[in-house]
Amino acid sequence: MTLKSLRPRLTAVGSGKGGTGKTFVALALAQAFADLGERVLICDADLGLANVTVQLGAASGGDLPSWLAGRIVLTDAIAHVALAPHAGFDLLSAPAGSGALADSDAETGERLAAMLKRAAAYDRVLIDLGAGVGAATMTLAAHADDTLVLATPDPASLTDAYAFAKLMVKRTGGRPPSIVVNMAGSAGEARRTAESLIRSAQSFLKVTPDYLGYIPDDPRVTEAVRRQTMPCVLYPQSPAVAAIGVLAGALGGQIGNLKIVPSLR
Amino acid sequence: MQLRTFIAKDMKSALASVRAEMGPEAVIVGSERAKGGGVLLRAALEEPETTPFEDEIGTPVNDVDADFRDAMISRLRDKSDSKPGRRRFDRSELLGSFARHRLPDALGHALAEASAKTSVSDMTLALAAAIDARMKSAPIDFASAKAFLLLGPNGAGKTAVAAKLGAHAKLAGRKVTLIAADVVGAGAVARLNAFAEHLDAAVATADSAYALANLTGDAVALGTFAVIDTAGFDPRQPRIAAVYAALAKIEAVEPLGVLSALTDAEEIAEMAAALAHIGVGRLIVTAVDLARRAGALAAAAMTPDVGLAHITRSPFVAGGLETLTPLALSRLLAESEQESAQ
Repeated sequence: MTLKSLRPRLTAVGSGKGGTGKTFVALALAQAFADLGERVLICDADLGLANVTVQLGAASGGDLPSWLAGRIVLTDAIAHVALAPHAGFDLLSAPAGSGALADSDAETGERLAAMLKRAAAYDRVLIDLGAGVGAATMTLAAHADDTLVLATPDPASLTDAYAFAKLMVKRTGGRPPSIVVNMAGSAGEARRTAESLIRSAQSFLKVTPDYLGYIPDDPRVTEAVRRQTMPCVLYPQSPAVAAIGVLAGALGGQIGNLKIVPSLR
Repeated sequence: MQLRTFIAKDMKSALASVRAEMGPEAVIVGSERAKGGGVLLRAALEEPETTPFEDEIGTPVNDVDADFRDAMISRLRDKSDSKPGRRRFDRSELLGSFARHRLPDALGHALAEASAKTSVSDMTLALAAAIDARMKSAPIDFASAKAFLLLGPNGAGKTAVAAKLGAHAKLAGRKVTLIAADVVGAGAVARLNAFAEHLDAAVATADSAYALANLTGDAVALGTFAVIDTAGFDPRQPRIAAVYAALAKIEAVEPLGVLSALTDAEEIAEMAAALAHIGVGRLIVTAVDLARRAGALAAAAMTPDVGLAHITRSPFVAGGLETLTPLALSRLLAESEQESAQ
């Protein structure tokens, strides 16, 4: 018996800046972990403006606000997502466009993190953090077991990713998020982007974040997002989908009792 | 943090601009050659500031973890809680499991003997230790790998493995060339082309050992990662095997065995040994997701003098290459299906 059987592993995806592809990455990772045999819940923690449901083209995204308020149990608060031939996963979100949790504070973040850690029916909870570095977002980021910060080669995304890293380091007493570069034109561009962020963190925060990998800029991702489906369904063999699979492996995806050791970094 | 980008004709003047405009505290966080000549410098400067969340910091984040740790300790202490998966070592039970998994008899008895000798009381751990002594894990380092020649019988999944190798190399920042040495198999080149297009990799075909040596030599000289897909063959047939043994001797080429977990365990052991005979030092075992009996996987993983590079569990390229640990293999072999499912 391990800790794994008692509580799920929380993997949070944040970025600081909006428009870096957080929702896509969180969703694709959720699908990848589900395909690896994990029981996965994806929580849309963009508490103000939930959009995982929209991106999935799903009819319902569950009812996060009612669960958080203790009015309903988790099994009634989730919606199940199954994209054939892939494995299914569960979705916990606020109704799209409701803005029900727009003014959430650190306390809401604490409560949500504590409740998610008790969701023992799952092996993994993916948290799609909201844009920005608000109190609820950073509280969730600090509570997660793996926190990813997404950056793109856009300089504005670099400074925002740095701000995210800085606040997280302060909250956790020195644990930086791991860097994933999205929408990279090439491996070299991704590496340079990550290096800029790592050097800034080393110089100003005295910590060295990990560089977990990159997701290539792929027009098929944009097309899939526009068609409100997942690239793994439309383009199972696209480079972006392959990159997500490798990223899931690097995050220690498990299949039943089999531990996947990432073979590349 | 203030982040600014400077473009200048050379590094010296770029640095001068940084110092002049951002002061001596600025840190250079990136540099590259600018398009159209010159250099591009990226510099960062951290202004002294107080964050609006400063006073909220200090809440310990481990309360929930502590709750769960306490819960776990209390469960471990409660002897009446008979969770499966913690079975005491029992040789006949272990041999029964091996038989269900169709492990080759000789290997099964050797493993049971070695497990007993470890004098570890937990069955899974004892077996894991015995497996560890026989199994060499040899994952591929994609940053330094040069060229792989994929060898194995028909239907083992060589072309899909070629695509997976290409995808991993691509993600490690390598350029990739896929070489089809199987120019006779129906659709073989077309499939490789389809994969290559998705991977943004080059495809070449080689219809002779000479052409193959040239293509591989060129790729390796350019630092490109090359994967050579071949036609399937039975490595136990000495005359055919000799042809592939010759290809495996091409400079900088490492022969990599590809075998399917759906093969009979005795057959896979023979094939793995035959591949080792023609120079194969490590294997990739495919279709592990489809095999209900782990005997073939175990037999391949414990082939003498051959390492296990990776296993694959999905026909999709995104499924990737995974590494099998002795503990994972032990769980597959020692625990019944119902237990593994939990």
